[in-house]
Amino acid sequence: MFLEVKNLCVDLGQFHLTGVNLNLEKNDYMVIIGPTGSGKSVLLETIAGFFQPQTGKIFLEGEDITNLNPEKRGISIVYQDYVLFPNMNVFENIAYGLEKKVKDREVIKSRVYDMADRLKIEHLLDRNPETLSGGEKQRTAIARSLIVEPNILLMDEPFSALDVNTHAYLTELIKKAISDYQTTCIHVSHNFNDVWSLAEQVAVMKNGKILQQGIVADVFSKPCHNFVADFVGVHNIFEGEVVGKSKGITDVKVNQNLILHSSDTDTNDDKKVMVAVRPENIIFSNQSFVSSIRNQLKGIVTDIILIGPTVWVEVDVNGTTFKGIITPSSLDILGIKKEKEIYLSFKSVNVKIIDEEQSYSALFSA
Amino acid sequence: MRSKLEISFISISFIFTSILFLIIGSLFVIPSFEGFVNAFFSDEIQFALRLTLSTSIIAAFGVMIVAIPTAYSLARYNFPFKSAVKSIIDLPMAFPEIVLGIAILMLFGNPLIGSILHSLGINIVFTTTGIIIAQFFVAFPYSVRILYSTFNYVNPRYEFVSRSLGYGELETLKNITLPLAKGGIFASSVVTIARCIGTFGAVLLVGGGTYLKTETLPIAIYYNLSLGSIDNAITAAIILVLISFIAIFVLEKYAYQNIEGAG
Repeated sequence: MFLEVKNLCVDLGQFHLTGVNLNLEKNDYMVIIGPTGSGKSVLLETIAGFFQPQTGKIFLEGEDITNLNPEKRGISIVYQDYVLFPNMNVFENIAYGLEKKVKDREVIKSRVYDMADRLKIEHLLDRNPETLSGGEKQRTAIARSLIVEPNILLMDEPFSALDVNTHAYLTELIKKAISDYQTTCIHVSHNFNDVWSLAEQVAVMKNGKILQQGIVADVFSKPCHNFVADFVGVHNIFEGEVVGKSKGITDVKVNQNLILHSSDTDTNDDKKVMVAVRPENIIFSNQSFVSSIRNQLKGIVTDIILIGPTVWVEVDVNGTTFKGIITPSSLDILGIKKEKEIYLSFKSVNVKIIDEEQSYSALFSA
Repeated sequence: MRSKLEISFISISFIFTSILFLIIGSLFVIPSFEGFVNAFFSDEIQFALRLTLSTSIIAAFGVMIVAIPTAYSLARYNFPFKSAVKSIIDLPMAFPEIVLGIAILMLFGNPLIGSILHSLGINIVFTTTGIIIAQFFVAFPYSVRILYSTFNYVNPRYEFVSRSLGYGELETLKNITLPLAKGGIFASSVVTIARCIGTFGAVLLVGGGTYLKTETLPIAIYYNLSLGSIDNAITAAIILVLISFIAIFVLEKYAYQNIEGAG
């Protein structure tokens, strides 16, 4: 394991980490997501060595670096607010870390120009940081951190102060630069697009704890906790009880008149669980139809909300509200409107069973 | 169209600034030019000016050497009794400096401590060294207060980034923190030297205010006024006003415009 964080506890008063565990392989790109105040930035700054943990260990390539000074860890950090040194121009900012390692001015100059070229800021090298745009400042900050070829690059919401177009442009640019430099990255973000476009690994944090870490597709499709499910956009999360199992299908009773069928079978009978269905996995139709789909429910449309280019449709099924997501054209074709009867269909493989005990213990101890 | 509140507040500031200007300006009206020149070049005022400037520069230099690490540690580190340390440093600003003078006199005039220092060749009471020590402790709290605010303004993330790029604590202080705090350090230096120059009560008690030995400019004003030498007293006062004016002018021009790294 390249980076191993074991049972890390930090108490800074307002922010804290409680028993954080994190694993990262070399050249992995991990995005940490979670609500504001969940301790994401404190985790990065503790890994960088700016805060000493009360308990727990941090290992880098097997070596215990918990008590190692920040300057000896080879872990660079990039902040949302850029933190470019105002007493230096762009060239000097980028060269700053390199000057500690390399004494030959020509080598420094050539490497700064190479890095500036990669990040398209070679024309800005003589400028004062105050005169740069947000995107230019962030490219300079990333260049400054990347040029020292760190063991790990930490990025604390690097794109959140940028407009959408700059964000998209920078994502591509930085993805390539990081790939070229073969850098291991931990990136804190609020934006799910960063997860999909950059990360191989994702970790979800809440109240100073990592609730789930894993490959992006796994975490989004198989959330282990109801908070994770809700946070990553599952939306349809219900309490239920396992009432039966047969032929690879688990039946979960959500209420007296509603049983959902899931292909998750790792639960015991009579056990209380949570079940989760992602909105995009729900198919709407005006009629029931025969198919391999195991969950087909009839309900009444209670609300229709237009959000950007998509439409969220809320449907009441025997007292339980499901949320589905469709396009405006599907809305027109199906003639969906409030109070209309509609059928919802979703496959049993898309009904995820979350162990309720595990989920609640994580939430309430967090 | 200005609001009534705006007009009222601006009027108050103008009226009282005018009164203050009138008070300060009256100093320049009272002596004759000849009287001013004679007083300025008198042995007493020349000595007091040299003594005041030399002791103040030494004291201010000492204050900055001690105040920078003190203020930095208060702004950046958590340590036991930090609140107590802050309160003790602030305390002399709350009581008259003459009280600080008595306290210094009591400490260094104490037979035990006094004899130990004397055996080491250090005489503090009624000496130039005593003046420097009195100026030091009067100015120290003001200096720490300004530097503390300055270091608090410098975002610690600049230091984090520097450390993450391979620089140690001391290198980061030298390369990043001090350059970013240079405006505040400069402001603190000017205020410190002005405070040292203007110290009266503490310097009078500890230094003794001996004629042509430990008589600084503020003491010269007091003595000459008591003896009826108005020209000497006012000349000393004008010199102090001019020094203060230069200090404030420099402060406004250079210090406040470039406290960097805020936020």
